[in-house]
Amino acid sequence: MIEVLNLCKTFHDRKKGDIAAVSNVSFTCSPGRVFGLLGRNGAGKTTTLRMLATILYPTSGTARIDGIDVNENPGEVRKRIGYLSGDTKLYDRLTGRELLTYFGELAGMSPASIAGRIAELQVSFQLADFLDKRVGRMSTGMKQRLSLCRVVLHDPPVLIFDEPTSGLDVMGAREVLRIVLDLKSKGRTIIFSTHIMTEAERICDEIAIIERGSILAKGSVDSLRQSNGGGSLEDVFVSTVDKVFREEAARGEPVRP
Amino acid sequence: MRSRAWSVCRKELRDALRDSRTIIAVFVVPLVLYPGIMLLMGWIESQNKKDEGAMQVRVGLVGEAQLPGLVPALKSMEGVTTVSLDRVPPNLESAGVDAVLSIPSGIAQSIPRGDSVKVELLYKDADHKSSAAEKKLRPALDEVRRELTVLWARSHGAPVAQAPAVAVETRDVSSKAEEGRFMAAFIIPYILVFMVAAGTMHLAIDATTGEKERSTLETLLATPTPRRDLVLGKVLAVIATALAAGLVGIFGLWFNFTVLAGLMPALSSQSVQLTIRPDQAFFILLTILPTAIFLSAALVALGCFARSMREGQTYATYVYMAAVVLGLISFRQLGAPPMERFMIPILNTALLQREILTDTVVPMHAAVALGTSAVVAAIMFVIATRLFSNESVLFRT
Repeated sequence: MIEVLNLCKTFHDRKKGDIAAVSNVSFTCSPGRVFGLLGRNGAGKTTTLRMLATILYPTSGTARIDGIDVNENPGEVRKRIGYLSGDTKLYDRLTGRELLTYFGELAGMSPASIAGRIAELQVSFQLADFLDKRVGRMSTGMKQRLSLCRVVLHDPPVLIFDEPTSGLDVMGAREVLRIVLDLKSKGRTIIFSTHIMTEAERICDEIAIIERGSILAKGSVDSLRQSNGGGSLEDVFVSTVDKVFREEAARGEPVRP
Repeated sequence: MRSRAWSVCRKELRDALRDSRTIIAVFVVPLVLYPGIMLLMGWIESQNKKDEGAMQVRVGLVGEAQLPGLVPALKSMEGVTTVSLDRVPPNLESAGVDAVLSIPSGIAQSIPRGDSVKVELLYKDADHKSSAAEKKLRPALDEVRRELTVLWARSHGAPVAQAPAVAVETRDVSSKAEEGRFMAAFIIPYILVFMVAAGTMHLAIDATTGEKERSTLETLLATPTPRRDLVLGKVLAVIATALAAGLVGIFGLWFNFTVLAGLMPALSSQSVQLTIRPDQAFFILLTILPTAIFLSAALVALGCFARSMREGQTYATYVYMAAVVLGLISFRQLGAPPMERFMIPILNTALLQREILTDTVVPMHAAVALGTSAVVAAIMFVIATRLFSNESVLFRT
């Protein structure tokens, strides 16, 4: 279960002063469901997810992951999450097995449970052919499968995916989405950020459109379409974001597309 | 074609000149650092000479009664004490002197006969005090030469100007082992400082800034492992490479100067016998530890702060240069260094290693050097941990 309540994050820039990257973001996501954060680059998706993963500290507001507050007990939160970002790389000089073992150890798993889990995941993620190959010699698809395997190695109940298909070809992206849906079917709570509408439509049970760090619209794909008077999810997204631009222009604020 | 090459050239120069690291490497370093190092070396040399001049030396005299003007001349010299000896001692240490001036017996007879006479000043170049004694006694040797010349002229009823040259020589009586110890005491601490600093540089930056540049940092930070443990693990790995570099460095010096030189007679005759006893090697390795911890923690802290590998490597180069300068300063000291020098990291290790290699360890020096290094290393570790937990540092752009 993920519960996010009035989450805010402000960064300080020496030239620009305080910049609100995330403002009063609230949502919930239940086990067995995928919550999508849909937004442009720089909209605030990554900052929100980094706060949920306890990589960044919220300026105000809070979030509870599996009932544990990210501000109060970030260490316990980390035990319950798997985090994958699209631009995350792996250690090229390690083999797949060494890499999984390393992250298993960092997650506090015993050597026996790491070995058992790797044997299990080796089959479900089809890693057998390249598990003992160095990461640097793997194809992009192999690396992505290994990354996903790393995320679920310690069997976390909550999974946070930040644009996980970024940089993948069609086949690679489909494979990632298949795995995410598989995890959903196993009852995991999943938060998934993307700027690709078709992905969001395909896997998300609920979507929040985020722009300028704030959630502008929230609901299921169908409810969002209905509230926009029909059209595709892309139409909903464009009209929602455009509305913000128009309001800013009406207030005489500089254009920040 | 040429105009395009010129376009590329202009773009590269514009790009480079907007990079502060290039400005520092091209302008600041050659203008400030290298002249600074030259000035430092000149200052060290002049200070060493000054120290030599101020040293109190004890000179043994053999047969000095034959030259009545010699003893008063020596006694008039500042910092010179003379002691009369019956014969040339087998070694300077047993006689408790820094040098021996030996005047062969019977010169009153041999000079008039025209026999060759050789007056020798025996000293050890591998000993600072003895070497200082040799420099101090140079004017006295001129006095000896003058007296012998006058003696010849009187006995031959000839003008002094016609007197044949009298052999008044200085002879370095340092053994190869002593030369080796002397060299080792200077060279080994300096080389080890280099080696340990170089050994820590790459891994420290790769393990920290490299995580940022490879985009593996977020993954690491999202694991349940506390940040302190992540930093500790990285610092320990860097310490291991620093110690390995130090160990390999000691082995390499021993192998080259002992084994390789022994295998090649031509090399052996030219080289000194650079000997390090196993107990000295052990204690030197112990002294490397706090320096390795300090350098590792400092470089990991800088690596956490740097935004890119290039920036991290630039910082590491500054640390390396600082280590080089501190290593150079270790050449400054001839006698017992003042206590405050044992409070400066890296320099204190080099000075302590020199004491180990010359068997002149002062326990308080060792305690202060190791204690100071350990405290500074702990401070650096805390800074590294704080930086690794500071999101504005980790994610700064």
